Amino acid sequence: MTATQSTGWIGVSAPRREDALLIRGRGRFIADVSPAGALHLAVLRSPFAHARINGVDTSAAESLPGVHGVITADDLEGIGAFPTVWRLPGQKECHTPALAPGKARYVGEPVAAVIADSRYIAEDALDLIEVDYEVLDHVVDVEAALAEDAPVINEHMGDNVIIEYTFPGINALGVAGDLDGAFAEADEVITGRFRIGRYSGVPLETRGLVADWDDLRQTLTLHSESQVAHLLRTELAAALGIPETSIRILTPNIGGAFGNKWDRYPEDILVSLASMRLGRPVKWIEDRRESLQATVHGRQQLQEWQLAVRSDGALLGLKGRVLSDQGAHLHSVGIGPAWVTGAAAVNQYKIANYHCDVLGVATNKTPNSTFRGFGGPEAMFGIERMVDKAARKLGIDPAEIRRMNMIGADEFPYFSPGGAVYDSGNYPTALAKALEAVEYDRLREEQAALREQGVRRGIGIGSYIHVSGFGPSAILGMLDYYTGGYEGSTVKIDPHGRATLYTGMIPMGQGTETTLAQVAADHLEIDIANVRVVWGDTDQTPYTGFGSAGSRSNVAAVAVIKAIEEIKAKAVRIGAGLLEADPEDVAYGDGRISVKGAEEMRSLTLAEVAQQAYWGHKIPEGDQPGLEATYVYDPANFTTAYGTHVAVVDVDVQTGKIDWVKYVVVDDAGTIINPLLVEGQIHGALAQGLGGAILEEFVYDEETGQLLSSSLMDYLLPSFTDLPDFEIHHLETPSPHTEGGFKGMGEAGCFPAGAVVANAVTDALSDLGIEVDETPVTPARLWGLINAAGG
Amino acid sequence: MAETITVVLDVNGVGKEISVEPRKTLADAIREDLGLTGTHLGCEHGVCGACTVLMDGEMVRSCLLFAVQGAGAEITTIEGIGDGGELHPMQRAFSEYHGLQCGFCTPGMILAGIDVLRRNPDPGPQEIREEMGGNICRCTGYQKIVESVQAAAAEMSKEGVSA
Repeated sequence: MTATQSTGWIGVSAPRREDALLIRGRGRFIADVSPAGALHLAVLRSPFAHARINGVDTSAAESLPGVHGVITADDLEGIGAFPTVWRLPGQKECHTPALAPGKARYVGEPVAAVIADSRYIAEDALDLIEVDYEVLDHVVDVEAALAEDAPVINEHMGDNVIIEYTFPGINALGVAGDLDGAFAEADEVITGRFRIGRYSGVPLETRGLVADWDDLRQTLTLHSESQVAHLLRTELAAALGIPETSIRILTPNIGGAFGNKWDRYPEDILVSLASMRLGRPVKWIEDRRESLQATVHGRQQLQEWQLAVRSDGALLGLKGRVLSDQGAHLHSVGIGPAWVTGAAAVNQYKIANYHCDVLGVATNKTPNSTFRGFGGPEAMFGIERMVDKAARKLGIDPAEIRRMNMIGADEFPYFSPGGAVYDSGNYPTALAKALEAVEYDRLREEQAALREQGVRRGIGIGSYIHVSGFGPSAILGMLDYYTGGYEGSTVKIDPHGRATLYTGMIPMGQGTETTLAQVAADHLEIDIANVRVVWGDTDQTPYTGFGSAGSRSNVAAVAVIKAIEEIKAKAVRIGAGLLEADPEDVAYGDGRISVKGAEEMRSLTLAEVAQQAYWGHKIPEGDQPGLEATYVYDPANFTTAYGTHVAVVDVDVQTGKIDWVKYVVVDDAGTIINPLLVEGQIHGALAQGLGGAILEEFVYDEETGQLLSSSLMDYLLPSFTDLPDFEIHHLETPSPHTEGGFKGMGEAGCFPAGAVVANAVTDALSDLGIEVDETPVTPARLWGLINAAGG
Repeated sequence: MAETITVVLDVNGVGKEISVEPRKTLADAIREDLGLTGTHLGCEHGVCGACTVLMDGEMVRSCLLFAVQGAGAEITTIEGIGDGGELHPMQRAFSEYHGLQCGFCTPGMILAGIDVLRRNPDPGPQEIREEMGGNICRCTGYQKIVESVQAAAAEMSKEGVSA
């Protein structure tokens, strides 16, 4: 790549502009934000899973030197809580309060907050708060929570069922399947029962906040890592009872978020309120134990499926029940991830007959909410395990049964009985490419030979769809999702012809600043060095109600393209006047405005036109001076990224340990903006998928309700030696639904990982008849299965 | 408030006298008292490696040491590597090979990478994975960090630089 270049910025591995600060340790993360005179807040959290709070005595804490104040639930008169954004019909209200009012419902739930001169003193003061807890019976298992005599966690609900939502198997065209007919026609009915483990994003940087209330101006500046600052601002204003215009949210560098920082949290209210009441800046940095207890968890589901199949391998119908273990309260997205599981469960297959009941169930655990993948990986686990079980039962190769049931490349748009519309793709080709990359036929032969030598090699296949680019706002409305699915972008050309782009997206490691600059440079046909990207300030950036996610660049990029189209059209109108030509005869190209056919002679640079635009001397009638545009892009439809993964593993039956032999990914996310960054996103998402497949788990003790994995010694993040090298291949089927053809891609890597591992391990142990139906497949769990099978 | 102790910390070649409570960690002292915020805190219990600094050339976790234990040692943080304004080859390699995403683990990773090459100037991928196993990254899946360290090793051997 040359030092300056005006075209072809899409599809190249442009160096990340984010790196210059980060590799020097000069990023500015939330813990690095330290206003003069800042006080420090610490949160007292419930040590019990379920306990009535009969009284909180803060007197000793308040009299400790250096303590400035204590906040308890009694101090929250007039202060609201954050609503659940996704409010499905029939969903009982049990949103997360700012401080446990009268009762704590999970270990780690905030009970009080102390504000002091230093974090050290604030924590000393926590020890001095006396809470009169009356411990109640608790329930941490989702099935036990459904029992008639189970302790009721939210009394007003009457029981622990938050919602029972049914997917009736009617597609977007209103066509219903015939599930009974499918099961009547079936030669076999395959059943599966899957426990998908509770784990989460666990960003290396915990959450944190710095609030700074200016009493004279009556304004709150909040430094926050929220992935959706504008929505936080809207909801925070409502909770605090102050005008939204009084709040400015600034976003520092984010040390990983993975969906967990999308949610609004009690501390957003507590830290803001502390600053308002004390008139001083207040800082709170979550420690790791708090983070594991009180930052949202994800995934955990108990699924039961029945798959009707014909002896020739045709998948006729799918029926299921998904119990989503929601924890004690609904958090920002309600049961959203489990809803997505129900919507996506038929995956890439032509299963026309479908029914699924999704139950959101309360337990005495941390709320289960937003985490990269958002219900998709859970769906893929269910269906991809079921397809493998069917293949084994029918004696058909697992690759072949997938191929024969996949939606064909000529069948798009495809209206799935889960309600989704798939836009484009070539599923069989992705599968074939993955099989070719691992040399599938040779592997199968080798596998048999190795088995004779005592090596248990397994091959696991997992295909996936990722419905991304949420979403047309009108459809979100129909789904009772109370925010919009659009992204806005403002692009301003300065009088020297350089561009500044304002986005509501919040970078959290994906390189959003670089990729959006690439899109702008490509479409303005100027050098990327002449594009500045502004993000992370609600005073400057366009509103987004959906906020940043690894799969949002595709929507945000279109907003940039559309704004630039308006700028180019205006530049042509102004330029035509200056060139004394008919606008019809003038075109934008190579960063210039030129008379068509006379580009050498009659041409102006973008800078020359921009200068004129700001002088305002010769503005065409109907135009305003200046050269900027804002475009809010609401996607016309969802985009569907997809692909296939294949893992090859060796299983040690003595220890239950899994060794990686190979891991191949074929991924199609439409048009790729930056191949190097796309690879990085796939690697990272896959690492998180594999983490939950083999290691990561929030373990609760049934007897005490305690979270046992509340340090990184117990909650195991995958390390260098736990993960394989990944081999990535791409297809590029541009989405017909978005300008530019981009599909969301930051999450897809984690989608099939759990199923792929479970399928590979099951394959390796096929002679023992072991079925891996629970994640994570830790050595201990796997050894238990092997031992029980007499292996 | 507890008594404070005066201690001189020699960080990145600059000695500075600070007054700290005995319980203050070295990481907190580096960040708060010396203002060097490139040393990050990810777990504060010695697992993640984000707070890695070099102490007399050895990799240590500054969250597991008290500030007073840093007295008398030469400490190097991410701000102290490289040569004047020049980036260290390890820093350049991380950027070029996309060995970072959010950048939170990166200072510790870069110092750990330098530490590996100090002990073995030409490690293979598996050696790098084993040697760096004490540093956690949540974004990259590690493969591109391994590539970065290998690239830095090649670059340093070409330039005749030692870690």
